[in-house]
Amino acid sequence: MGREKEKENPSQKALNLLRTRLSNPNFVFKPLSDSPDSNYSKLKFIISSSITEACNNSILLLGPRGSGKVAVLELVLSDLLQQYPEAISVIRLNGLLHGDDNCALKEIARQLCMEHQLLFSKVASFDDNSQFLIAMLRECGLAHKTIIFVLDEFDLFAQAKQRLLYSLLDAMQSVTSQAVVIGVSCRLDVDQLLEKRVRSRFSHRKLLFLPPSKEDTERFLEHILSLPKDSSLPHSYTVEFNGRLKNVLADERFKELINTYLSFNSTIGQLMRFLFQAVSYMDLDVGFLSLENFKTALSSTQRQPKSECIKDCSILELYLLVCMKRLEVKEQNSYNFNSVMTEYKSIHDFQTSDNYAGNVCLRAFEHLLQRELISFTDNRGHNQSVEFRPVKLLISPAELYHGLKSYRSCPAILLKLIAR
Amino acid sequence: MAKVESPQVTRRTTRSYSASNDAIESTKPIEPYKPTLNDLGFRQQPLSFEDLLSCLPGRRTQVLELLRLLGPLNSPMFPILIYGGPSTGKTSVILQVFRHLNRPFVYSSCVTCYSPRILFESILNQLFHRKNSGNSYSSIKRCEKPSDFVNYLREALESVIKNLKGNSGKLSSKVSGQPNGTMIYLVFDHLERVRKWDKSSTILPFLFNLFDILKMPEVGLIFISNTSPDTYYFNMGYVEPIPLCFPDYTEDDLRQIFMANQTNRKLYSSFLDVVLRPFCRVTRRVDELSAVFSSLFKKYSQPLSDMGVAPNEDMKRRLFSHLQPHITSALNETFLSPSWPPLLKDEANGETKKKGSSRMSRIHEDFDKIDFHMSTSAKYLLISAFLASRNPATLDASLFDSTGVSDSRKRKRKPSEKSLEQKEMTELELLMKGPGTFPLERLLAIFQCITSLAEDSLDEEESHELTIEGGSSGLMSDVLLQLSSLCNANFIIKGGSCPLEGSTRYRTAVSEDLALKVARSLKFPLSKYLYRR
Repeated sequence: MGREKEKENPSQKALNLLRTRLSNPNFVFKPLSDSPDSNYSKLKFIISSSITEACNNSILLLGPRGSGKVAVLELVLSDLLQQYPEAISVIRLNGLLHGDDNCALKEIARQLCMEHQLLFSKVASFDDNSQFLIAMLRECGLAHKTIIFVLDEFDLFAQAKQRLLYSLLDAMQSVTSQAVVIGVSCRLDVDQLLEKRVRSRFSHRKLLFLPPSKEDTERFLEHILSLPKDSSLPHSYTVEFNGRLKNVLADERFKELINTYLSFNSTIGQLMRFLFQAVSYMDLDVGFLSLENFKTALSSTQRQPKSECIKDCSILELYLLVCMKRLEVKEQNSYNFNSVMTEYKSIHDFQTSDNYAGNVCLRAFEHLLQRELISFTDNRGHNQSVEFRPVKLLISPAELYHGLKSYRSCPAILLKLIAR
Repeated sequence: MAKVESPQVTRRTTRSYSASNDAIESTKPIEPYKPTLNDLGFRQQPLSFEDLLSCLPGRRTQVLELLRLLGPLNSPMFPILIYGGPSTGKTSVILQVFRHLNRPFVYSSCVTCYSPRILFESILNQLFHRKNSGNSYSSIKRCEKPSDFVNYLREALESVIKNLKGNSGKLSSKVSGQPNGTMIYLVFDHLERVRKWDKSSTILPFLFNLFDILKMPEVGLIFISNTSPDTYYFNMGYVEPIPLCFPDYTEDDLRQIFMANQTNRKLYSSFLDVVLRPFCRVTRRVDELSAVFSSLFKKYSQPLSDMGVAPNEDMKRRLFSHLQPHITSALNETFLSPSWPPLLKDEANGETKKKGSSRMSRIHEDFDKIDFHMSTSAKYLLISAFLASRNPATLDASLFDSTGVSDSRKRKRKPSEKSLEQKEMTELELLMKGPGTFPLERLLAIFQCITSLAEDSLDEEESHELTIEGGSSGLMSDVLLQLSSLCNANFIIKGGSCPLEGSTRYRTAVSEDLALKVARSLKFPLSKYLYRR
């Protein structure tokens, strides 16, 4: 695979197509939004009615991460922009970026200026920006133009003083303004975080985004992974690909696999990541998806990081971990490196093959700290040197035991010590 | 009348001033370097696949999986998190894979970019800006907040991607060595450092959610971390990136790594047969092992006259027996490179013999000397700090009275059972609590006592050796300076102030071994002053 070939073979093109689809949320959520009682239709109805009736509105979209809240919202907005091209302007804010009120108002002013081709000044103060906002709302209201505010990560806006929320919702109370505030959040109780005065100005409309049912998921999988008939791929290849895909999807083992995955990661967004991994494991020489791809993807999502860390440890580090566990069993509540060293030396009373000096053990101790298998229990920490600060184990005894048992060439003494 | 010329006072110029003057006169102003798309690629010859695998031994599965996740040309991807222990080759694999694929990428490490502002500006600078004297080494834009970063990044990425799309249409791009494709990848190295930043609770979720915030399918994000993904869980959620694990090297991989680039492979392989297994029980990190193997290999091949010879069984046994004592001693050292090279060390030993009575024993030569330089007053200060931490304050009067060391006569009684138990408890306490704190006045008092004692004892010897001028007052003026430099070097830790008195308290941070070494170098009988319970 030295240089990329000019002419891609069909399997590579198919892989590209599938990967592009899976990482594009708009494509993914379109089929789920077709039915009339879906969130898409409800949201579209609410926003379009507030546009046509020239009234203010506010709504919250709630659901776990990856359930498609922003994707569905973008679909609705793009449809409405096509339907009413001159009557909408959209301002997008994100709680991670604009959680601070000054920052948020600056961003609102910047986006408004960009949309209406005005000059934006970077040194405008908070008051200037808020006056500008109110003036724009009034002007747009007079021109029958609705401003839609999309507040992503709404719970982060509701943290400190909620000045932005209050000023937005307050500005919406006047008759001249036409604005819709859409809050998107993963916390289902986000309206409890609002202050009393903000909550009273908020219409308590909420849309919950739930994971789709099993039948929907199955139909959806087939739709996502099948190659379209009218693409630039050769027709015979497409037909065979889709045929094999159908066989895989109908397989009982596949259904079990998907159920296992969905039982702990139930949102569509995470399913997309899983399918992306499976698709990227597709063997380009064969050119078709097989059950093995999905199995490999599932095993790569079921990692146990702490057991992997144990496998990476050297034998001296395992000794230190076993000594710490023995100290915990002896109910010493706080212990530090020096007490671990005394325990280590006492283990070696009857065997001297792995007895190392203090500085070597200290270095192994620091490796364990780096891997986060142990950690300090005090927070201030800079008053003492490393040997005296109290530590604790971050790995449970069961995990330690399993790790030791599956360790290649683990010394027998360790297994004996930990079994007691 | 002769003209008296006023003496011309020549102006003294510094070297840089005269050099710059010459430079300005002689050369034209240098054109600022305009970075182009080529700078986003690896800028060296691309590798073939076999070369890629051979220069990264033991990492075949990881390279294949990474190539699968990155996908074919121009295919979008979800963010990836590469994690594994230190020195397992994560950064090298990523960089070499990008060299092989010849795709444009932007690399930034959270070790060199130690605050959000530096990280953001470094990424923006790499996308088409070069700091030079023309713009007085400033970044292209001042960017502190994540919101500004996202806006500027979007602008910069859009222009870069437009350029890339324009170039990929032409066939000549493949010939001129420009990077392929229309996607650009952002690599964030050493992500675990971000957890220790002040703003880590907003910056980390921001970085992980950057893919969703940017909503640009032409951008790929790759995170590299030394700790596993479960150390990144916070209150604020984020969608997890796809994890890719780099486990530590196994013994066979280590053997392959060390055998690469060796001139005499058979000799080195017999060396590895001997040392690899015992050292792997202590640590499996490549950087630590390579430091010790290089010095041990020199000792291993010392008796050989011809370095190119392939050893037979008999020679192997002899070499092994020659190396055996060095192995056991090396296993008990932390593998630091010595601060003096071994040759110079012999000379230094020869020099110190000139100073009169030196009782250094030959066998423990390496372990008895401290291998860094400290001034005499700093050494005395260190010993005083150690004594102040270890001994309780009430004992000072009896230990340091003007008549010198008084042997405690109270300890002739046989210890009873209860006092033995108490002794154990106090030892345990000492283990747990660590050395005690002391105020500055106590430290200076002990220092005064010790140095006056030292002067008295040295006056009996050849006193012209030492260069201390006139009594302890010569030492005193340095002491506070020395104290602060010892604090900076972490030999003494400065603690908080005592709530009752309000003065700062100090604590010693050296081990007993080091204090004994320092005392031995000063010929100070430290053990007589240590309080043993």
